[in-house]
Amino acid sequence: MVIPDLSAEDIKTAMSDATDIELLSREGGQKIVFTGLIENKKWALKFMRPNLSSSADQSVEDSVDDVTARAQREVETMQQCQSPFLVRPGPIGIKSVYIKGEPYIFFTEEFIPGIDLKNYKKKTGVLPIPEITKLGIHISEAISSIWNWAKIHRDVKPGNIMRKDSNGDFILLDMGLVFDLNDASLSLFGPVGTPIYFSPEQMDFNHRRTVLDFRSDLFSLGIVLYEMATGQHPFINKGTTSSFEVVNNIRTMAPENPCLIRKDLPQGLGDIIIRLLAKRPALRFRQIGLLIEALTKASVGGK
Amino acid sequence: MPLLAQSGYGRAEKIQKGLKSGCIKGVILSPRDEEPAKLKDFSAELRETYNDALILFDPQFYATTVLCPRDQNLPSYDYYNNNKGLSRTKFTPQGIQRYVSEALAFQNSVQELSYYISPTVIFEDFRDSWSQISLGLAEQAIEHWSKDLSRNKPLLCSLAISEFAFRNREGLDEFLDAISAWDVNGFYLLINRNSTSSNAIFDSTALGNILYFIHVLSRINNYEVFCGYSDWHSFILEAVGASHTACGWFQNLKNFSMSRFLPAGRARQPRKRYSSGPLLSSILINPELEAVYSIGSLPTALSGTSHDSILVNHGPAAGEQFWSGEVACLSHWETISSIASSLSGQPASKQLELATNKINMAKTLFRSFQQREIIFDPSTGPNHLDIWLQAIQNFKNSISSF
Repeated sequence: MVIPDLSAEDIKTAMSDATDIELLSREGGQKIVFTGLIENKKWALKFMRPNLSSSADQSVEDSVDDVTARAQREVETMQQCQSPFLVRPGPIGIKSVYIKGEPYIFFTEEFIPGIDLKNYKKKTGVLPIPEITKLGIHISEAISSIWNWAKIHRDVKPGNIMRKDSNGDFILLDMGLVFDLNDASLSLFGPVGTPIYFSPEQMDFNHRRTVLDFRSDLFSLGIVLYEMATGQHPFINKGTTSSFEVVNNIRTMAPENPCLIRKDLPQGLGDIIIRLLAKRPALRFRQIGLLIEALTKASVGGK
Repeated sequence: MPLLAQSGYGRAEKIQKGLKSGCIKGVILSPRDEEPAKLKDFSAELRETYNDALILFDPQFYATTVLCPRDQNLPSYDYYNNNKGLSRTKFTPQGIQRYVSEALAFQNSVQELSYYISPTVIFEDFRDSWSQISLGLAEQAIEHWSKDLSRNKPLLCSLAISEFAFRNREGLDEFLDAISAWDVNGFYLLINRNSTSSNAIFDSTALGNILYFIHVLSRINNYEVFCGYSDWHSFILEAVGASHTACGWFQNLKNFSMSRFLPAGRARQPRKRYSSGPLLSSILINPELEAVYSIGSLPTALSGTSHDSILVNHGPAAGEQFWSGEVACLSHWETISSIASSLSGQPASKQLELATNKINMAKTLFRSFQQREIIFDPSTGPNHLDIWLQAIQNFKNSISSF
């Protein structure tokens, strides 16, 4: 999928009700994101091109193309899930628009002033210890909110987590890859996400006995916490040269104890991170509440 | 770890006496061996006298899949009688819904029960179609319990699994992944043993994985795990996280096997045995315990229960006539309960070490008797002790790779 080639000027002509439009980012190869004022409030405006070739190949029942279907699911999930740690939907739902004669779809969502963790790590390095537990608790809450609707985020990674400037809260973004357990049609999309943040079971998507549930997102959260605590990805070591090797390591390699890398990391917190990285879902946490409880204890110095 | 009585035929006053002495903390009732009205009366009587006793009811639904079973009183229970002789094809979604609601409806009618236990079927392999039916029954029970019964008492999902299924580790892991996020209080676990095997002798790979299975459910996922039909190895099950074990008086109540429900010939009267805590085995009173007595070592083999005096005062051979089935049962409960209690309160990491020490001490004691030319029946031991040690080692290897 090609990133739409759009400028702020193009958006101004397409959205008469938005002003002060600026380019924000190009996301995940599929979306281009602008910011703009709508009724004096700043929002993120997400534009993408529908994948018309994919809809042409599908039956009448599946006539919505995959890009539009994902966007619909993203907006629907934002509308359903009520969590202060999930990005909120904006005033405009999915709309189609022609720009320079080409079809586009777009929607709006909350604009969050802050920095995503990928950039935070580049600029500042690892998070302070209290921030790590806070990150764990906030993103657990977000995953829980999505799971209440029998959905899995499938793309929990530093680039999709924003640290708010206003209060330091962590917000989970981008629900474009959310998997709905109650919607069989979503299997059309197969294993998607960012491979180096995949859970072992996410890679085994087609195995009929594989259990895919919120514990898959907990694994990805474990990788994020490990990275933000140590500065290192748990499954990338010195000799790792390709994402294929990382994926293999995710399946087979036991990560190094993070407390050995970051000496001031409390053992209790290190144990939680290692447990999240267990190869089998059964060895992680069976309820997100139990994880939050464990993180809360770890944050006050307990084990 | 509270020990429960695994009830069955011939309970007489054993359960009341066990509760009174404190060596058991409750009972798992058996509909095969009790008519509904009597079972309800008995539950009410227990609850009135022993307010804190745990009272559970195993619906024994697995017997519905046996043709011409020895099901005794089970046909007087509607949930069983309506569904006798079920084949695989009868477990449709509608069928499963009905079986579950009927089995739980009966339990709902017995006010005194402390938990619901879901109906289940036995399976031989974690990947066979019966295992999927078992999952379907449990999931339906959770749904019915949540929606129709408003979770008015806790629910245990029942699983009845062949011992040999546990040799397949990959299948076991997949199964654990599937059940370990269930929103339920815990599990009632039955290990279906090969009917020809002695109850203490497991396959060490299978037993190691059974320990792992219990550990993952209890210690990792905080479920209560009730292990039915358990015997001498109960203390090892506790060491890895089991919350309760249950043990009965006859061999077929200490060792779960579907042979209990299959047509069979007449069984011989079993020889009388003494439950020796130091040996971690039920040894024949005559000639084994008598031989220990004859070399002047009787105190080393005694469990220290309130019933020992019968054999001490008369000598084992002469005292055997006073060693009734009831005394043997109460003595056994007291012994295995006290072994398990000696582990309680210890940190989880320490419990397995203590269990291993106990097994090694039993091995040493067996060896010392054998050196003095006492011969033990193979069903007495000590071969089971090495198997247990190997199983514990297998378990340790499993959890070290977490």
